[in-house]
Amino acid sequence: MKLKGHKINGGRVEGEAIVCNDAFSFLGDFDPITGNCLIKTPELEGKSMIDKILVCPTGKGSSRGPLNTYRAMKLNKSPKAIVCIEAEPVLAAAAIVANMPMVDRLDKNPLEVIKTGDWVKVDGDNGIVEVT
Amino acid sequence: MFLTKEEEGMLNGEYGPGIKRSMELLVKLGEAFDAERMIPAQSAHIHCAMSLDLLSELTEGTTQCRVITTTHPNAYPNVLDPTGCKRIGLPENYDIYEFIHGGPWSQIEDIFKRLGYLLTYTCVPFLVGNLPRMGDVISWGGTSGAVTATSMFGACGSRDSVPANVATSVTGRAPYIGMAIKQNRYAQVLVELDGLDVASFTNADYGALGYYIGGKTGSKNVVINGLPKTLTLEQFRYLVSPMPVSGATNICHVVGVTPEARTLDEALGGGKPEEVITAGRDQIKEAVSKLTTAHSDKVDLVKLGCPHCSIIELRNIASLLTGKKVQPNVRLFVATAKQIYVLAEVMGYVDIIKQAGGVFTNTCIGSQDPFNFIGPKLGVETVATNSARSAHYSARTSGGKIRLLYGSMKQCIDSAITGKWRTT
Repeated sequence: MKLKGHKINGGRVEGEAIVCNDAFSFLGDFDPITGNCLIKTPELEGKSMIDKILVCPTGKGSSRGPLNTYRAMKLNKSPKAIVCIEAEPVLAAAAIVANMPMVDRLDKNPLEVIKTGDWVKVDGDNGIVEVT
Repeated sequence: MFLTKEEEGMLNGEYGPGIKRSMELLVKLGEAFDAERMIPAQSAHIHCAMSLDLLSELTEGTTQCRVITTTHPNAYPNVLDPTGCKRIGLPENYDIYEFIHGGPWSQIEDIFKRLGYLLTYTCVPFLVGNLPRMGDVISWGGTSGAVTATSMFGACGSRDSVPANVATSVTGRAPYIGMAIKQNRYAQVLVELDGLDVASFTNADYGALGYYIGGKTGSKNVVINGLPKTLTLEQFRYLVSPMPVSGATNICHVVGVTPEARTLDEALGGGKPEEVITAGRDQIKEAVSKLTTAHSDKVDLVKLGCPHCSIIELRNIASLLTGKKVQPNVRLFVATAKQIYVLAEVMGYVDIIKQAGGVFTNTCIGSQDPFNFIGPKLGVETVATNSARSAHYSARTSGGKIRLLYGSMKQCIDSAITGKWRTT
């Protein structure tokens, strides 16, 4: 399935999806040293986000989030890309400083059509997300 | 996105690699949010949770920042009062942000100094010389300062990010998005007050009101009708600082106080609010009970200064402590800027507070309060504060291990003197 959306940050990657149903903050919801998710739900807690495609509604929380994705990138513990319903500046900066392609405003709600574990191709340059 | 000739030059590397990298970041951010152009910025404020590598990349070859730039609270809690901090159990050279620096803090501080960042180490930049005027575009880390400057002074502070704060400080530019656009500033949710005796409100009551409103309004712009036009800077700060914590507020108009909200109609941009909510005594009680997580009335630590205490607050603390002593088993932790501390020294307030047993710091006592992390090991479990922001963060960043009591400064000081929390 091909979803068309809007570019937040360019680049093309593919990987396994990790879906988070609430607004995401890289400060508090993510450990940059281990690359693990810190959200306290049975599906997400302790799950590795390394090289995954993060799918979430939007960003939230501290303006320091991008420092964590940058640190994680340097340690090779960062996710690979972000797909969200509607971006906000802190989540966008988190993608930009860690060179993660990022796409938002897709023609279908990514939370409804992408499931954790799906293989997802993200084309940030053209704002296209493909679920295989 | 339209760029001026100078901005093109920045992007092409004519002004050095750091400016190039900074401009790339700002252009990417601007394009992500469909900005038509860049705008000149007037002020920046930089978080100390900084990565040495990223800071180096964004500033390489830059000798001086382009706009007035101040720095957020110190990464080291013990700088202002090493003896006091040692006495209450804080380890020397304890670096709150160690994991994020990725290099020695001294090298980060050297870059700050080279760039001419004013090492204020406070979350109240407007109290130490970084005072924006109405319409000024500011790129500030720390949501309490940004929401206060935007709502009280009419500055344009948007939710950006630490890397964007650095990029704006060295380029003097920001993407034309967010609060810089007049249309984005009008109030969406109207808050009407019901049966509140605001004349008798303590700062903690204002904090509870703000905490309630933030939780109800999320990222929407707010207007509050019915507060006194004589609202002081302290009252205003306590009101709006918790809003980006329980919600994600960018601007809170207070009719008659916010410069662009001389009337309710002006705050709403001539339109109708999307939603009207009411705040009365029950809502204040609801907020206070959310902030109160303690099981015990035996207080281990009292903390004041989130956001950092103003000189007026330090005077009030000194006056409540004159001739009194803090219980030996209670810690009284007071956070302020060094610049304000120096004035308080001149006024004799520091002596009174220290002689009573109080300890000063210029670190953050909210989300990054060192006691949130090492408190339980030091026997600190029940903490009293007059800051809704600090209470909210301590409960969360300690993973529930720190339990909170919330009330006025007078209640807090009383509990430091007696060791027991009294509800009235």
